[in-house]
Amino acid sequence: MLEIDDLAKRYGNVVALDGATFTARPGRVVGFLGPNGAGKTTTMRCIFGLARPDRGTVRWKGQPVDRDARLRFGYMPEQRGLYPRMRVGEQMSYFAQQHGLRARDAEAASARWLDRMGLADRAKSKLEELSHGNQQRIQLAVALAHDPELLVLDEPFSGLDPIGIATMTEVVHERAAAGVGVLFSSHQLDLVEDVCEDVVIIARGRIVAAGAIEELKARSGRRHLEVEVVGSGGAWLDGDGSLTVLERSGDRVKLLVADDVDLDGMLARARAAGEVRMFAYEPPKLSELFMEAVTPTSPGPDLEASR
Amino acid sequence: MSRWRSVWLVAKREILERGRSRGFIFSVVFTTLLVIGSFVLPTVLFGDDQAARIGIVRPTPPGLEGAITATAAQLDQPVEIVPFDDPAAADAALASDNVDVVAEVPSDLSSPGAIRFASDADQVVSQIISAAVVALRFQDIVADAGVDPGVLLAAQQPPSVDSLDPETEADQSRFLFANIGAVLILVGIFSFGFTVLTGVVEEKQSRVVEVVLATVRARDLLMGKVLGIGILGVVQLVVFVVAALGAAMWTDRFVLPEATPSAVALLVVWFVLGYALYSTALGFLGALASRLEEASNASTPVTMIAMISYFVAIFAVINDPSGLVAQVATYIPASAPFVVPLRAAFDAISGVEVAISIVVTVAAIWVLFAIGARVYAGAVLQTAGRMKIRDAWRSAGE
Repeated sequence: MLEIDDLAKRYGNVVALDGATFTARPGRVVGFLGPNGAGKTTTMRCIFGLARPDRGTVRWKGQPVDRDARLRFGYMPEQRGLYPRMRVGEQMSYFAQQHGLRARDAEAASARWLDRMGLADRAKSKLEELSHGNQQRIQLAVALAHDPELLVLDEPFSGLDPIGIATMTEVVHERAAAGVGVLFSSHQLDLVEDVCEDVVIIARGRIVAAGAIEELKARSGRRHLEVEVVGSGGAWLDGDGSLTVLERSGDRVKLLVADDVDLDGMLARARAAGEVRMFAYEPPKLSELFMEAVTPTSPGPDLEASR
Repeated sequence: MSRWRSVWLVAKREILERGRSRGFIFSVVFTTLLVIGSFVLPTVLFGDDQAARIGIVRPTPPGLEGAITATAAQLDQPVEIVPFDDPAAADAALASDNVDVVAEVPSDLSSPGAIRFASDADQVVSQIISAAVVALRFQDIVADAGVDPGVLLAAQQPPSVDSLDPETEADQSRFLFANIGAVLILVGIFSFGFTVLTGVVEEKQSRVVEVVLATVRARDLLMGKVLGIGILGVVQLVVFVVAALGAAMWTDRFVLPEATPSAVALLVVWFVLGYALYSTALGFLGALASRLEEASNASTPVTMIAMISYFVAIFAVINDPSGLVAQVATYIPASAPFVVPLRAAFDAISGVEVAISIVVTVAAIWVLFAIGARVYAGAVLQTAGRMKIRDAWRSAGE
């Protein structure tokens, strides 16, 4: 288990992390969400010792993370980077060896992952000869080739085409099923909702929400109620100031309601207005939970971090 | 995994990637050909100290051949004398370049005779023949006057030529050795030190350094880089020296000093030390920059120090290899790599001095590396413009 405990980090006057605390469990896929500058990349850099926190610790299996632990991690940084003029196969083998694999195992692993990425015939190509998307695939393969116990992916979906996204999703699920803990950051919340079981939401250097997506949804006081009453044009709601209308199109209206709303009462009102063709009561979407979590309740000082 | 394996993997990557590059192979082949060529070509084209071929027309005065050979020996000019039976045959040989000069002297020495060249007169050769003829004619007249030929011959002995501090051929090749050694060290430090510098900047620019440093310590990355590129440097130096020595021995153009093997060993040792010192400095200065142009600006002070050290070595130290400047420069790590092999080439340094100098330089490398590695670690992940050394030092964490 990866434990992020009370991480704090400043860059000059900019607060990047301000007591961030969360955990990532083996076999779980954790989406790490937050607006730009909230501290996601800094957290990941702290995990890999690339940034030194001013306060707090990162623990792996109960011990502070050291270099030996990091050898068992795989990392795909937000700013992608590999050796442009190095051959793809040798490059993957090099990084696998730096993670402690014997030369022969490293070569076998890189061949296996190249095959998996559909790039087996490009092993002898220089990285810079590959397309952008294929370079991304190699970057992922480099993070995976040494069979890590923890996978940290910073914006893995950015710049990928739908096929790339499908491959990435498949690999992430497969690794998690094999017991690997996966932490990845993304702004594509729909994708996160599909891929992750857990989310951690960070804003202004602090964790503002964390847990299983379903739980967070259940815990949220908000619900959506979507009702379609034939021929009503939605007029049956008019005059009721206590309801928040999110959307209205034709006969269909979408309401924001509290989770303790009187559903029977609402249904009765809709029926009174006409034939009810649709009556859907749903938890909020992840994107709404996200917005709710990251919006400051009181206007504070501008703590936007640059990295 | 041990740190050393990590360092070695970095070094091996540098060796394989750069050693296989066309640029490196080309530069090794090119410099080797250049070295061999500069030794072999003059020999092939001009021969070494070619003998002057002097044609003489018979009948010749008695003693002419001996007089020419003796005079030539005094001037250190090898000669080969070719007799002809008539002037026409001699001139034909001259025209077809079978001899360089024809001397036609009457056998009774009644006149000085004539010397003919094909086109331009070679002053040395013509002086040799003239002196021989004049001496013969003089001897002839004086002998007729009843002077004992033995006394005459003794009177014609030239004064002995000597110098207080004779420069031998070994001295010349020493001087040459010392100069070539200093140039090799300078060129090696520059070309391979700058390879380290550009390598560091490229890793930073391509952002691969973030992936590397997720598993490799910054210090180990810098060390592996310096090590790998240094091994290529030593390979190139050894190829160069072997080619030069091989060519020198084969063509017999230089007398190799007796101390050649130890001089070569010292050259390699000081190349390694000088390279380690300067490339470490260049490596961490490179980490402070975010672009290559910035890096070469940042490296200017280091470049200046290397150039000054080199000039101190080839001007001040060559003039007076045991002087005060030479002694002081021996213990300054920046100049020692240039000065010590040079002094050693002149036999002007003791083993103890060399040992102390090596210790001082190794200590300086260690200190520079400790500082450099921390600055490197702090700077290499920052990509926003040029960093100050102080900021990098502070932000370094380990």
